[in-house]
Amino acid sequence: MKRRDLFRMGGLAALGAAGAACGSSGGTGAAGSTQLQFMYWGSTFEKSAIEKMLKAFEQSKPGTTVKPLFTPDEYDVKLNSLIAGGRTPDLGYVPMSMSFRLAEQGNLVNLFPYLDKYPQLAGYLPDAYLWYGQDRLHGVSTANEIELLWYSKTAIAEAGISPPPAEAASAWSWDQLVDNAYKLTVDQNGRHPDESGFDPGQVRQFGVSVSITYAAAWYGFLRGNGADFADEAGRKCLLDTPEAIEVFQNLQDLIYKHRVAPGPGQLAATGDDVPGTNILLKTKRVAMVVDGHWALLDMNESKVDYGIGVLPKYAEPFTTSQVAGASSVFAGSKHVEEAVELFAFHIDPRYVDLYKQGLWMPQEKKYYEDQAAIDSWTRNDAHPPEFRTAVVDYGRDHGVPDLRNRVKNLSAISSDVLTPALQELESGKRPAAEILKAATPKITGMLQGWQHTQEP
Amino acid sequence: MAGMSGQRRMERRWGLLMALPAILGFVIFTAGPMVASLAFSLTDWQVGGTPAFVGLGNYTELAGDELFWTSLGATTYYTLGAVPLVLIVSFAVAMLLNQKVRGLPLWRTIFYLPTLVPAIANVVLWIWIFNPDFGLLNSLLRQAGLPTGQWVYDEAMAVPSLIVMSTWGFGNTMVIFLAGLQGVPRHLYEAVSIDGGGAWRRFWHVTLPMMTPTIFYNLVVGVVGTFQVFNQAYVMTEGGPNNATLFYVYYLFRMAFRESEMGYASALAWVLFMIIVVITFLLFRNARRWVYYEMAGAR
Amino acid sequence: MTAVRTPPRRAGRVAPTAGLRGPRRFRKALLYLALAGGAVPTLLPFVWLLRSALMQDTQMFVAPPEWIPSPFQWSNFTEALTAQPFWLYFVNTVIIAVISVVGTVLTCSVAAFSFSRLRWRGRNVAFAVLLSGVMLPYAVTLIPTFVMWQELGALDTFVPLTVPSWFAGAGGGVFNVFLLRQFFLTIPFELDEAAYIDGASPWRVFWTIVMPLSKPAIVVVTIFTFIGTWNDFLGPLLYLNDEEKYTLSLGLASFQSIYLTQWGYLMAASAAVIAPIIALFFFLQRYFIEGVTLTGIKN
Repeated sequence: MKRRDLFRMGGLAALGAAGAACGSSGGTGAAGSTQLQFMYWGSTFEKSAIEKMLKAFEQSKPGTTVKPLFTPDEYDVKLNSLIAGGRTPDLGYVPMSMSFRLAEQGNLVNLFPYLDKYPQLAGYLPDAYLWYGQDRLHGVSTANEIELLWYSKTAIAEAGISPPPAEAASAWSWDQLVDNAYKLTVDQNGRHPDESGFDPGQVRQFGVSVSITYAAAWYGFLRGNGADFADEAGRKCLLDTPEAIEVFQNLQDLIYKHRVAPGPGQLAATGDDVPGTNILLKTKRVAMVVDGHWALLDMNESKVDYGIGVLPKYAEPFTTSQVAGASSVFAGSKHVEEAVELFAFHIDPRYVDLYKQGLWMPQEKKYYEDQAAIDSWTRNDAHPPEFRTAVVDYGRDHGVPDLRNRVKNLSAISSDVLTPALQELESGKRPAAEILKAATPKITGMLQGWQHTQEP
Repeated sequence: MAGMSGQRRMERRWGLLMALPAILGFVIFTAGPMVASLAFSLTDWQVGGTPAFVGLGNYTELAGDELFWTSLGATTYYTLGAVPLVLIVSFAVAMLLNQKVRGLPLWRTIFYLPTLVPAIANVVLWIWIFNPDFGLLNSLLRQAGLPTGQWVYDEAMAVPSLIVMSTWGFGNTMVIFLAGLQGVPRHLYEAVSIDGGGAWRRFWHVTLPMMTPTIFYNLVVGVVGTFQVFNQAYVMTEGGPNNATLFYVYYLFRMAFRESEMGYASALAWVLFMIIVVITFLLFRNARRWVYYEMAGAR
Repeated sequence: MTAVRTPPRRAGRVAPTAGLRGPRRFRKALLYLALAGGAVPTLLPFVWLLRSALMQDTQMFVAPPEWIPSPFQWSNFTEALTAQPFWLYFVNTVIIAVISVVGTVLTCSVAAFSFSRLRWRGRNVAFAVLLSGVMLPYAVTLIPTFVMWQELGALDTFVPLTVPSWFAGAGGGVFNVFLLRQFFLTIPFELDEAAYIDGASPWRVFWTIVMPLSKPAIVVVTIFTFIGTWNDFLGPLLYLNDEEKYTLSLGLASFQSIYLTQWGYLMAASAAVIAPIIALFFFLQRYFIEGVTLTGIKN
């Protein structure tokens, strides 16, 4: 106790000066009301939309208050600490690499029993559900998100080519993509890569950009070509199959053979979002970019003259869907019922502006099937006319759920083996076949199977 | 003499008393978490789960972990490059900013500015500097007719590039040197001058020896800090390309918070701890030969 | 750099004569040349930050880069600083920084005095143990520390962010103890002996002799602690939940997210956030002036 007293003494001085009060998370408020804590991240934009949603929830349920726990960065550090201290929020976002683990440890509420009680919860897209065993559901991907082919209308017009199709049925083949990318790639002297004197070190406008290190960007291609990351049992990595090697060799060739795509660092970018697709298209550094639908918000904010097309297809016109991490209810919550209600509320397009603004796509099936429901979030200035076929229909009919929410142990596999291998691929030092054949057995050694899936 | 032992007693009493806040601080805030992490290192513990005692299991696993060795190598390489470079640059700049020139406050602030610019703005700047096509570095090299490079995007060049980048962080070390230079007694300079010694002799026979305590400090802190280099890998390279910049603490951090493998991460941390302790110990032992203290022997 | 140059031997003489005018002027010119040469790379990050703060996102990333904003996007500043309650964050940050600086300077210098100028058994061992606290990567002590504060009921207050600084040894504060110790060791011990003979207590020696002679070092600790607290992100992120208590660095981070980075706002807010610490450095650097420390002693 002595140590504590000393603390309190030291603490009091600071407390007095700061006027800070002790905080309490969760529990019952003063007037016998219920208090929930909602943990999330996001831009200031997302923050204001979430705050508005939480206010609406409080109004719809008198006696319930919600404390937002806004965590702009280092989300996993804070969440790990809260878990270790037994101070988890009632519900919130859970990073992809953590949610399955937390569920298996029993730190997340199994939502399966609530599907009967709240029909809304049972009406999501099948791929939205995150299962960790038979009848064991730990959450739903916060929003549906798919990969698209964004393009600059001006760049397309200048090259005099027809824009990337907005319908899956007429999607470009890979060769068509390459052909058009040649026409869209221009160096400082106005030369194209197939002309003599083309200077690959001084490219003014690249034809296309596809991330090699970001799995969601290529997983649709992989599946479309009849390949996959792992076999059915999820125990053997299949990245060394001819179909997979073809996909990755094609990606590498865009940079080094065709010279129509930027290599590492050429966009002045380290990750996928410096400077961001909106800026790349607006400044015409790149004419076409493979990126998620969520770029729509940025596109509108920076007033880009953009268009949306579907990805080029291999055998099947697939795109990666369900790219987002989980939203979940924490097992430590003292008000699970209310938390589940807020859970359903926080991804309901009626209460969250982010759908209309373009950042999120709904998880509820009806928003892809029922005309009035579709219109409710897509018929507005933020959504261009081709959005219906290029995103709504495309995502519904041709989406394959991102492997990051499907393969067990993937975050360790990624950081230890996959990402370094893909970086080597991106550097162009060795052909895809060599790199993938070396990496595949290592990945196989780390594979622990697929996550469970079931129809709700 | 009775008087002396009286003073001894007084020194002992006051010595303990005055060191007490620091000792208490260590006992209360630092020791507990350190011991806890040492205990974690003997367990298989994922945050949120139950720890299982595995003895030295994590440590033996670590010896066979390819990435452990990769990260140790990258970190050592970086430390060997960055520490001496930063020491030399900051000492030189401190000497420069200790001259009598017009607008000294302004010059000093300008030279300290890179330390104050937030990391994210700095990263965006350096991404441009290292850009293979339009980057500052390659543009300069091209104009000089020299071969260009891929810098942080090239496995072989990534660590040297980050070492160069680290040089811009010389500000804090420089400020310490600047403060140290104020303690060099002027009469010593005068003595050298009277003996007919020039600037070089003043530097070699007065400045350098009198600055050894400060140099020693910056060396130790540089080694301790640089072995724990993290930020550049975290915000700039994410350990890439192909693990070239997988710095030790970045690897450890990823284990601890991405994978929540706190047991293994703790073992990693304690191995690094031992490495740093040994190096620091050697530095302190070696310091007796070259660091000059006022009447150090008597104390 | 200039000090290393070897001017003609006679130039070192203290008394300037007419014949030395030429070389001396030449030396001055070189000095300014070196300063100007060094200022270009050190100003680069700051100028980059400023130009980005005044640009639209699209211009910021044009390749090759542009230096003059067109148009000048002054609204970045007004909109960024009103997008969040920055004034509140500023007040919070100042409170935390001031409490931390006062605590650190007081307790670290007291401890450093004990570790450098008082003799007591176990002193060096205690110092070594203290120093070891900074050799274990914080990633593995972070969770135990967090849990400790939680057990003490101090979460969501400024206590975890301020109280440790009043116990010198806690966390990175040990570096300050070490730094001050190194400076204290350069002060002649005859001063202490003389004071003790006059019957002074160690506290008196500390307060009236050692501290006044160590202003540059104290200023260094002040600057470092202030800047460290000002920029600290992880501490406030972990310990604060209520947005009313958030700090500037948390506000800055909200302009960056995985989906969307508001570059213009981020750069403008960053520039605004570092302005106070630039001013602080500008005013405090004046203490790095020869003569503050040892002029009084010579006679």
